[in-house]
Amino acid sequence: MSLLQKERDVITRNEYADSFDFDEIEDFIRNANKEMFISHHFKKRDRLLVQPRGGFPTYKKMFELYEEFMKADIDVLPLTIDSNTRLNDYAMAKKMLTLSEENEMDMLNGYPLVNHGYRTTRKMMTHFNKPVSLRHGTPDARLLVETALASGIFEIEGGPITYMLPYSKNFPLDKAFLYWKYVDKVCAKYSTLNEPINRESFGPLTATLVPPCIVIVIQLIEMLLSIEEGVKSFSVSFSQNGSMMQDIVTSNVLKKLAREYADMFGGEDAIINLVYHQWMGAFPRDKNLSDSLINTNTVIAAMVRADKIIIKTRDEAFGIPTMQCNAQSVANTKYTLRTLKGLPQVHDAEEEENLELEVRAIMDAVFNDPADTLWRKVFNTIKSGLIDVPFSPHIINNNEVITIRDESGNIRIIEKGKLPLPDRCFAYEKSKVNLPESKTEVINKIIHDIGAML
Amino acid sequence: MSKLLIDVGSTYFKVCQTSGISQYFRDFKKDIYDDLITKCGNIFANYKKEDIFICSSANGGLSTLIIGLTNSFSLKFAKNIAFNSGINIIDTILYSKIEESRAPSELVDVVIIVGGIDGIGKVFDEKLFDYLKNVQYSNIVYVGTKQDASFLSVQIPELKVLGNIITEKLHVNGGELKEYLTNLYQADIVGKEDIKHLYEITANQIYSTPYIVNRSLPLIDANFEVVNPFIVVDIGGATTDIHYSRDLVRDNIVSESGYDRLVFKKLGVFKSRETLIFAAKNNEFVYELLSYLNVTENILEEESEKALRILMQLSIFLVLYKVSRLNPLYVTLHLDLLNTIVLTGGITKVLSYEEVEMIMQFFYKKVMNLHATPNIVMDYDYAIWTLGMENKENSAS
Repeated sequence: MSLLQKERDVITRNEYADSFDFDEIEDFIRNANKEMFISHHFKKRDRLLVQPRGGFPTYKKMFELYEEFMKADIDVLPLTIDSNTRLNDYAMAKKMLTLSEENEMDMLNGYPLVNHGYRTTRKMMTHFNKPVSLRHGTPDARLLVETALASGIFEIEGGPITYMLPYSKNFPLDKAFLYWKYVDKVCAKYSTLNEPINRESFGPLTATLVPPCIVIVIQLIEMLLSIEEGVKSFSVSFSQNGSMMQDIVTSNVLKKLAREYADMFGGEDAIINLVYHQWMGAFPRDKNLSDSLINTNTVIAAMVRADKIIIKTRDEAFGIPTMQCNAQSVANTKYTLRTLKGLPQVHDAEEEENLELEVRAIMDAVFNDPADTLWRKVFNTIKSGLIDVPFSPHIINNNEVITIRDESGNIRIIEKGKLPLPDRCFAYEKSKVNLPESKTEVINKIIHDIGAML
Repeated sequence: MSKLLIDVGSTYFKVCQTSGISQYFRDFKKDIYDDLITKCGNIFANYKKEDIFICSSANGGLSTLIIGLTNSFSLKFAKNIAFNSGINIIDTILYSKIEESRAPSELVDVVIIVGGIDGIGKVFDEKLFDYLKNVQYSNIVYVGTKQDASFLSVQIPELKVLGNIITEKLHVNGGELKEYLTNLYQADIVGKEDIKHLYEITANQIYSTPYIVNRSLPLIDANFEVVNPFIVVDIGGATTDIHYSRDLVRDNIVSESGYDRLVFKKLGVFKSRETLIFAAKNNEFVYELLSYLNVTENILEEESEKALRILMQLSIFLVLYKVSRLNPLYVTLHLDLLNTIVLTGGITKVLSYEEVEMIMQFFYKKVMNLHATPNIVMDYDYAIWTLGMENKENSAS
């Protein structure tokens, strides 16, 4: 028995989980319908796939939500996991699930997958026969991912950085790297049985004035960490940042460098796709404005030539959307995409060159770290502030980088902290911004940015 | 050239050569050096002094009293640094309650004063000096806001001032204090007359055993079937150490290592037998546990092999209990997330896997209300210790 398998036996032997029958699970995945694999749909490249977010605690409500989505001709179903499961607190998730079932009231903000178990959940997944994407935010997702894959969920979102720095305050980052290594290994193992399991990174990060160079670096790192473990289908992602031009530039550089670095690190056979998130910041309380924002986002997703778009709803400012509202958003997005034909391919050579130089400089700093493994190099780089995510709550993050918008809505770095940016790039960034005289004004401008789309 | 590794424990010597590990029960009538020479002198003759590496936990451990400003930062950070330096914390005093706090009756090896970030002044005042008048201590160190350093230095002439352990970002900056405490610990070990003599055998620095074990933790999963998060429980004759993965705690500390350490100075099955029994008798679960093990409480008074086995089982239970949510005095570990428990030290020479498993099942069922138990790994050959020694030696050479 391999060391990985022994580890899997320990991880899946959990009080709150199904008893795992790995042979049966392998059989299931081997014979699963290809329609359930998003990697299969990506290969076809015949349209931009639409995926909402969504998760309810009970099986019944989750099933009803999927039915609503199916009516809206959805491409990818979501499975959003509740907060307790994200923190590995399966005991509380179980209690709240019971209360939700007894009182017909949602006591969880998502689907407690581990507690439902894979045998139950698989019935739902195979019934709808669509690709399902696991949306969570869990630093230690080993048991959750085992359960998801066994259930027929063949896209796993997250990563050791993107599910840590924006989501967690003090979970040890080095451990997160090791736990995501496990996830990648299991995904890679199952990828040999049928179509590849797709791993997707979470590009929005804190969704608060994150400069494109940081977004891209972290996407590339998580992609390389997955490829290192044998993952063959990977989605890099980012979210709308407030400037259509900067989104297009980000997309062009991200696609180019993702392919380049993947090939450089032995991932020539890995398929890399691009996912675009609709606006991840604060939404307007006027639902008509929300509709307009979502519509604009859809246009940008088409402009950046994303392979998948993850959508929002007009209820975003008010909490968890209703099933009907969520399904309506899917239908509207799909309609907008149908009307977008013959879009031009746009480039901005100067911006792309600058962004590329920034990304390469940070990547070089990662590779130049003396550690013997890639994950340890990355860990050291984050710890020393060479990678720094603005406004991350995590204690290991350096939090010295300050960004602000220029007149065109582009995010610019005005304090680089310890980011190893070339002087010319930093000078270029600062040249684009007319900084207010006083620091107070700068701070107020940054705070005001929270309401950029209101 | 092969190396010779020696661990001086409170009950046994362990000697590791390429041919394997042997252990010798100590003769307490002799000093350590004479005893070691008597038992292993012929082995030493085969090695150069440069190739002999020694670590010791014999009577090791200093005691500390920490006076801090808040539980969330100063006390938490100082406790973490102290435990990881191998120091036993006898008490922590919250400064706002210092007037109603009692001074410890015994001599304290080192008092740590901490509080405030740099830029904040006048944190400490006369209340501190009034309290310290009643404390007997050998060393005193200040690691708080630098604005108060000169004022405190005037009032406490023997005060050692180091850099603030709390940064302006409220992160822990433990380097200087850790080095200071580790040096005190080393000086204490080396200062002990019978340890001093050991430098006649070795040309290398003598380290404390917990320090060596802690160094081996990142390498463990390469040598054992260990699944993170894990804990290593080292139950010896005098003390019990727990080394734990940092994801079992949720505190705001970024540390160099992914593993922290806790030491229970009075929890051992030989030298600390009496205090172990005392702790057992005061535990709410122990009588139920004894009946589960099919013995009566009389076993605690017996001197037999059976009694020793029961004591060892009790020590596993007590150490887990002490770090569980039922006992907030120490660090609380999320034992529901624990995947592996590694047992090392003298206990593995006595207890079988099944006897450990029984205890784990009882603990998880009764205390954690869970049926599934973590994976148990027994380090029968002190491999963790040799791993750490080799790692130390490699990084030194």
